[in-house]
Amino acid sequence: MISARSIAEPTIRDTVIHRLDPRAKIIMLIATSFIIVALDNPQTMLLLFLVVLSGFVPARMPMIKMKTLLVLLVLVMWGTMYSQALFYSQLPRTVIFTIIPPDAPFLGWLTHGGLFVYKEGFYYGAVQALRSATVLSMGLLMCWTTDPRDMLNGLARLKVPYSIAFMVVTAVRFLPIIIAEVATVITVQRLKGFKPTKMGPGMIKTALGVLTPTLANCVRRASVLAVSIESRAFRAHRTRTYLKELQYSRFDMILIVAAVSLTISIVSAKLLFNLYTSEIYYSSELRGIYSLARGYL
Amino acid sequence: MEMIKTMRAPVLALVVLLAAISATVPITQGSATNAANIVETASTTTGNKTTGDPILEDMVTFLVQVPYGIEDGGLAVQGNNLSAYVFMESFLHGEMDVVIRLDFPDGFQIRGPALQSFKLYTEYDDWYQFIDFYVPPDMPTGTYAIKATATIEIEGQQDVIERNIAIRVASKDEVSDMISINRVIIPSDEEGIGDASRQENTFVLQETSPLIKRMAVIAGIGSSDGDGDVKVSHIGVEIENNGDEAIPLIISYAILDVNTRQPVEEFRPTLMGMSSETFSYANIILPAGSKKTVGLPVYISETALGGEYLMHVKATVMGSDWTAAARDDRINAISRNWTSIFISLSALLLTITAIGIFVLRSNAIISSFKTRHLMMISLFGTASFAAVNIPMTFLWDIAHAVLGPFSFLFIGIFYEIVLYMLIVASVVLIPKPGVVTLLLMVRYLLNGVLLGHFNPVFLISYSVNAIALEFMLYAVGMTRGNVIGGYAGRIRTGFVCATADALSQYVSFNVWMVLYRLFYSDWYIRANILIDGFLYTFIGAWLGINLGNRLKKVIE
Repeated sequence: MISARSIAEPTIRDTVIHRLDPRAKIIMLIATSFIIVALDNPQTMLLLFLVVLSGFVPARMPMIKMKTLLVLLVLVMWGTMYSQALFYSQLPRTVIFTIIPPDAPFLGWLTHGGLFVYKEGFYYGAVQALRSATVLSMGLLMCWTTDPRDMLNGLARLKVPYSIAFMVVTAVRFLPIIIAEVATVITVQRLKGFKPTKMGPGMIKTALGVLTPTLANCVRRASVLAVSIESRAFRAHRTRTYLKELQYSRFDMILIVAAVSLTISIVSAKLLFNLYTSEIYYSSELRGIYSLARGYL
Repeated sequence: MEMIKTMRAPVLALVVLLAAISATVPITQGSATNAANIVETASTTTGNKTTGDPILEDMVTFLVQVPYGIEDGGLAVQGNNLSAYVFMESFLHGEMDVVIRLDFPDGFQIRGPALQSFKLYTEYDDWYQFIDFYVPPDMPTGTYAIKATATIEIEGQQDVIERNIAIRVASKDEVSDMISINRVIIPSDEEGIGDASRQENTFVLQETSPLIKRMAVIAGIGSSDGDGDVKVSHIGVEIENNGDEAIPLIISYAILDVNTRQPVEEFRPTLMGMSSETFSYANIILPAGSKKTVGLPVYISETALGGEYLMHVKATVMGSDWTAAARDDRINAISRNWTSIFISLSALLLTITAIGIFVLRSNAIISSFKTRHLMMISLFGTASFAAVNIPMTFLWDIAHAVLGPFSFLFIGIFYEIVLYMLIVASVVLIPKPGVVTLLLMVRYLLNGVLLGHFNPVFLISYSVNAIALEFMLYAVGMTRGNVIGGYAGRIRTGFVCATADALSQYVSFNVWMVLYRLFYSDWYIRANILIDGFLYTFIGAWLGINLGNRLKKVIE
């Protein structure tokens, strides 16, 4: 059974992926986000996606994580494919199904001439979904192989203010408790005769009924927590030390340099190519770059 | 032109006088120095074998083109319809009755009367007629003579002018072997010469946003005339004649759907009340053994969609409806949505600026909050993550799959109503600037750290949402400690939250379209902004005030 816990909790092991510095992982994730946004070539996008996916092999993820990944990827892919099949606005396009006929009362008018499922839109959606799928896979690989404390330590070292990092640590720590509280409140509501999962306007009433006691507990807990951490010198000094010092390995450095260089190269090449295709800037000296971008990026 | 007309009468009178003195002076020599029509007559009479009274020849222009457009020997293709063109203009200051007869050799089939009679009333009065004829497929190839006779009666005196026109009948295979379209240069300049600075086989479609168009007009780079909705580009067609004689050709093109091969209407828009096809052809006479590049305009309507098309270029022998050579090339049309690009770039700059300011002033911003407040924001962020992000990780796509384009009606309950209940409740509890920013920051980082959603689109959307909310809540006084009481206060709060969210939704859609190359229909974006962005957010904000007031009692 895939649960919130199977998504959110990391599986800590001693593998080459787990041993990577969290900062290196964050930088690689940011680099992947930039690269995948810059790419347009379906083959290259697929290659990048497969490279990211291949990272799960040395990370030796348990089966439940792999199932979770698969379900999330299928949902992301399907969602994008379906939406693009509906909204695809390029030619050629072949209607394979009519959802709202153009002459349907009101809806035909609302949708400006009906709503159709286009065959080419499915393919286009599948290609574009590779972006979300790549970022999602990279993000999950990073999260599942890194202890949240290390991750936040890494964020703090990357100039995310310590207080913010601490707030996120607190949030991570209290997430299971809050989820458990929400589950308890829902059970109580059910015992009182409510049907919290029933669709319709009652959902808002249910939401209010769930949120009020949950947040009331949060408010109480925040006061206790504040006293507790202040007594442990939280924000007592401008700077602070860390129990665990992060240290880049040679492998981390190679990965960071490679990721950053590749990102700068790809993004710059695509930027120049887009300026050329938009008829804004052209230089004959950049023909090689245009050719590379057209063929592979 | 006016000057030519005024010159023509005295010069002609002189010519007629000279001709009357000496009938041996060739007409072509005398008229060649004159105005355009006379030159045309001269060249025609050079090509056509002329017989008739030279004085009468000076009184009229009698022009016969078989097929139309060919003045010096024509080519007809077996099994084709062609048109002959007959033109007569009078230079006589008086009436004349004319009967014209066209005699085709046996085998040619004339569609319509071969005998035409009419009257020309005064000087420069003219008459013309197209006469369709058909060359049967079994017509033997070779050169034929066509005779055109004009019988002219002036004041009871009759005279005759004749034209003998040679026409060669060729088979389709012969002509096809002669003509080839070597390449199509897309895009090109008006002369058909390619431009290396523009992507090959690609048209860039124009921006359709009225705002951008208006800005372009103001900047002096856009068109403000009536045809501003149509973009003009050009293609070059390189065509070659490998034969031993000149061929008159009409070069035209059609942009087709690659699947159906039907012409795409957006590439033949209406210009000045006429189809742009009327302007999208070139007629040339291609000399024997030569190569020529012609430029053709391509008119693109602003409603044209991007994608892949088929450029079908064809060459027809002038006067014929048969395609002698054709070529298909796959072309791309790129649509650059500059409005979305502009909005995304602005949002990105705003995000970078906001993050930069926050990082630089983080100590001052964080110091303004008590530790209890920071913990409360953190826990509210956790609650929003648990109540919105985790269920939506699965429900978002399932809702898409089940409800299709109307899934936003369901998704909005979580993403707008529940989320804004939490945001507004936190602001009610801690009415200070920065609360919304910290809450959304915690939510974004949690989303990234736990679900791997370190997505640049989310970063930009959250940032714009935080900036808009902070600005508007501060403007109405909510984060300056003003107590929200009564319906007016709730409506005001609901309205500012709804406006801020509608704005961030609009930005978010544009960023998705630019960075992730996704398509969304205008109606879908509008419905999302109106229902999810505005209505649901308004409800969420309203309920959030109730929730916040209830939670205040817990603190008290």
